[in-house]
Amino acid sequence: MKKYFVICSAFVAILTVNLLLMSGCAVSQKVQNKTGIQLWGENCGRCHNAPGPGEFSAANWEIIGRHMRVRTNITETEEKKIIDYLKSTAN
Amino acid sequence: MRKKYLLVVPLCCFGLIHAQVTTENAQAPAPSSKDGQNKFAIFGNGEMTFVANKDNVQFGDVNFKPIFLWKISDQLFVESEVEFETGEGSLDIGLEYLNMVFIANKYITLHAGRFLPKFGAYRGRFGEGFLNRFATDPVGFGDGGIGAMNEVGIGAQGGFGIGDSKINYDLYLSNGPILLTDSANAGQFEYEGYIGNNKGKAVGGRIGFLPLTNSSLEIGYSFQHKSDTGDPGSKYENIGVFMQAIDLNYYGHLTSLKSDVRLMAEWKYQKVDNATYYDANNNPYTFDNSPSTYYVAGTFRPVHVHNIFVHNLELAARYSNFKTPAEAPWGGPEKDQFAISLDYWLKWNSLVKLTYQTQTNEVNTFYGQVVFGF
Repeated sequence: MKKYFVICSAFVAILTVNLLLMSGCAVSQKVQNKTGIQLWGENCGRCHNAPGPGEFSAANWEIIGRHMRVRTNITETEEKKIIDYLKSTAN
Repeated sequence: MRKKYLLVVPLCCFGLIHAQVTTENAQAPAPSSKDGQNKFAIFGNGEMTFVANKDNVQFGDVNFKPIFLWKISDQLFVESEVEFETGEGSLDIGLEYLNMVFIANKYITLHAGRFLPKFGAYRGRFGEGFLNRFATDPVGFGDGGIGAMNEVGIGAQGGFGIGDSKINYDLYLSNGPILLTDSANAGQFEYEGYIGNNKGKAVGGRIGFLPLTNSSLEIGYSFQHKSDTGDPGSKYENIGVFMQAIDLNYYGHLTSLKSDVRLMAEWKYQKVDNATYYDANNNPYTFDNSPSTYYVAGTFRPVHVHNIFVHNLELAARYSNFKTPAEAPWGGPEKDQFAISLDYWLKWNSLVKLTYQTQTNEVNTFYGQVVFGF
């Protein structure tokens, strides 16, 4: 059993470190160009119906954005773009 | 044990050191927000379930689950859910999670406290209130299944893009499962681990890969290991457990049918070291303790149809299977479960679920459930 544990641990550690090192400049232009509304539709809908901008106040959207980043591991850029979009037309 | 700390602690330290450098280099933020920095909000769910079968007709399981959120600063965040439940016949109050979060940098978020499980995707994400399209859990994924409902410990997590794809990860150290050895539950685990039973800690993690540009598909691999699960000084102290899970989640649009579809699946496997247990008459016995479970589910919602009643409907079907050791006192024959659900959405986070479920050795049961998100 320890063999499996060592293999899995090494896999996760190596992958994590490598991906962290690679991640800084590796995002495609297509992804970089995504808008907040596009990311809102793609990411929120993966787990639940995506709430519209009018559902919450701008202050609440900031809190919800952070909660969702922690719950689902969306990237910092996605959090910012999605929340900027929702705040721009919020109540 | 040392290996576990070697894995998690350096990542946490790296995050803290990097965050310190980032903070020192950053300019003091301008006091521009009239809302103030420390922001607080309450959201959550209210739920009630109706159960009907040939033996029983009941209103029950009334649950109130407020979620408290504090965005203390750009780096500090606290999230907590308290549960008020009545399913056991009396009011039961519990702490679902209290997660104290430190955003170290773009790629690393550190957290400590009691947090939702990162082993698999169902229990920590899709099993919750209005995210679950069924009034029940798949067999093997709820109480008595494989894996924890919550973990107590520390962890690191994050997400980032690579090309057109995305990766997310979780790595954590927790109290982990506690081996039960009484005659009725020998070889099972108490997963909650509010406090540990020995110095052993579990290490676990999940890697999620979203290969498509539109993030519509996520495939995850999780593991958890704890080498010492028994009570200290007992013959079971060094019994270890290793768990693995693979999960899949797809969300897409069927343009021709003006509908959205979701496909979800997860497989979980647990392997426990061999041990000799004793039955109620003190007779020794042993068994291969390697239960496994999986579910597959699909949902269909004609959300782009103009008729309001029709586009608020969602149809869902789910099959699940749970294999437990036949020789274990808590084991027995393989369990198959099939559930079909017709849901009506009252709002994006509020719905009525009508679920019909069949399961091996259980009576066929109808469930009605109302969930209001707030």
